Amino acid sequence: MEESHVIIVISIFIATYGIIISEKIHRTTIAMFGAVIMLMLHVLSQKAAIDHIDFNTIGLLIGMMIIVGITRRTGVFEYIAIKAAKTAKGDPWKIIVLLSIVTAVASALLDNVTTILLIVPVTLVITDTLEINPIAFLIPEVLVANIGGTATLIGDPPNIMIGSAANLGFMDFIINLLPVVVIIFIVIMFILKIIYKKSLSTTEEAKQRILNMNEKIAIKNELLLKKSLGVLAITILGFVVHESFGFESATVALAGAAILLLISKVEPEEIFVEIEWPTIFFFMALFVLVGSLEEVGVIEILAEKMVNLTNGNLFITTMIILWVSAIASAFLDNIPFVATMIPLVKGIGAMSAMNITPLWWALALGACLGGNGSIVGATANVVVSGMLEKHGNRISFVDYLKIGFPLMIVSVAISSVYLIVFYL
Amino acid sequence: MRKYVNAEAMQHAMKLLQLGAKVQQFNGKMCFVEFEINGHKLEYAYNINRKNKYFLERIKPYPLPLKVFESEKDVIELIKIDMEQYKDAMKSKNIDEFIEITTEINIIQKKFEDLFLYYNISKEKADEMKEHIFKIDEIINEIQKESKRVNFLKEPDNLKTEI
Repeated sequence: MEESHVIIVISIFIATYGIIISEKIHRTTIAMFGAVIMLMLHVLSQKAAIDHIDFNTIGLLIGMMIIVGITRRTGVFEYIAIKAAKTAKGDPWKIIVLLSIVTAVASALLDNVTTILLIVPVTLVITDTLEINPIAFLIPEVLVANIGGTATLIGDPPNIMIGSAANLGFMDFIINLLPVVVIIFIVIMFILKIIYKKSLSTTEEAKQRILNMNEKIAIKNELLLKKSLGVLAITILGFVVHESFGFESATVALAGAAILLLISKVEPEEIFVEIEWPTIFFFMALFVLVGSLEEVGVIEILAEKMVNLTNGNLFITTMIILWVSAIASAFLDNIPFVATMIPLVKGIGAMSAMNITPLWWALALGACLGGNGSIVGATANVVVSGMLEKHGNRISFVDYLKIGFPLMIVSVAISSVYLIVFYL
Repeated sequence: MRKYVNAEAMQHAMKLLQLGAKVQQFNGKMCFVEFEINGHKLEYAYNINRKNKYFLERIKPYPLPLKVFESEKDVIELIKIDMEQYKDAMKSKNIDEFIEITTEINIIQKKFEDLFLYYNISKEKADEMKEHIFKIDEIINEIQKESKRVNFLKEPDNLKTEI
């Protein structure tokens, strides 16, 4: 490959990422445009481009989107939210804790944005009923959505990509990341209590209105609920055992989706229209863009430089990946970042005698937890900010930064200690 | 965009269910139609969906719910007739008075609703209002008898024509 060719490829890659960061053009549009230019310039053939697309990631995303698309129709989230609010007897802080637990668990099993889109509307109904500012509810929810999503293979798109590329299964993520995620969750909730507890006050009348709510009428279709929850449970079980049966995680998700479509008898067209196709195409385009860098040898050069910089020291490399990923993900989209880091980590593994498994955990923790650092750090944060604004409660970049960034630093610091103690 | 709409719809449904409503939500498209006739705006809004229920409403020159249809062909047909009728009406020298009177009637209707919902009205006053309404109705019938019919696209929806 000629040097000028390499420079052109790097320029297209940087320009594409620059425009994605600037948000001047929709990220999917510009990523597809960048990927197509790579094809037009014969940086890689169409076949090679398709080979670079990780269809395990794509299949897993689509499969889970279908399952969630059907399950959300049952009203189960509304039921859980009302039940939680009633269990807390209308006490605002107790409701925040219960909804945060629900959000974290849901986020570990569904992707963060989907979780937020399901939990925020029901939370807003509760805060409206309590006549209370929803910011104190939604900030904890979005923070724990990003934290909860870190715990599993399917909880956050970076983990899906990492798991697929590194051959790490559902249980690998649970065993290695769940413990630290639980610790981070507890610490963050404790800090949030100090921040918000005093500002939460409501009237007895409002609490009574919560107790008068009927969670049972929230369930729109009981039969569909049973089918959906049954399939969701089987799918999660499938994730737990998929490696033993030699199945890829996408196979499990798509099998769950196909079964649920079959038994629910829901019109597929109505569900497929809910799939986030822009996200799916964004992923595919990113794989092609990063694949182009691999084709011209740029990733190899970067990996070599990284190994030289750290002298192949596992401790330094892990800490660099963790903190750089976290800081970068606080302000940039973590999906393209992780898409670029994956071949880099693989390259480091190929060039040194290092055991790169801790590097994968550092990348997952950094990229997922880093998203809490700023309002633009994760799509879930942007979604919450948009929904709050629509509801008449704006949260500025700085307002969020004051809470999100220190909490992100705390969670990454806990992750550092965890990695040092158990892996380095 | 769709995800925000879904989230908002979820919130609405949850609140309405708690109020005791039965809520059905389905995907559809909102259509806004605009004509400009002799400097006057004529606007309609209707909804297309797979449930074959089309809610047609005229927005301008004054808001008026028109009909719920079973087929989109009927919607276009009614807009066509309504538009033709307006085209003719716009040529009339009384068009401005017509729009002014109709707008006033709309405002009065809303005021009456407020009066009814916010105040306890005496029977005498209610009867007095009824009398005025009957008087207006009589005037409309008189004018109809005295005036020459100019539009035969279809029979009027509310006026009796067999005189």
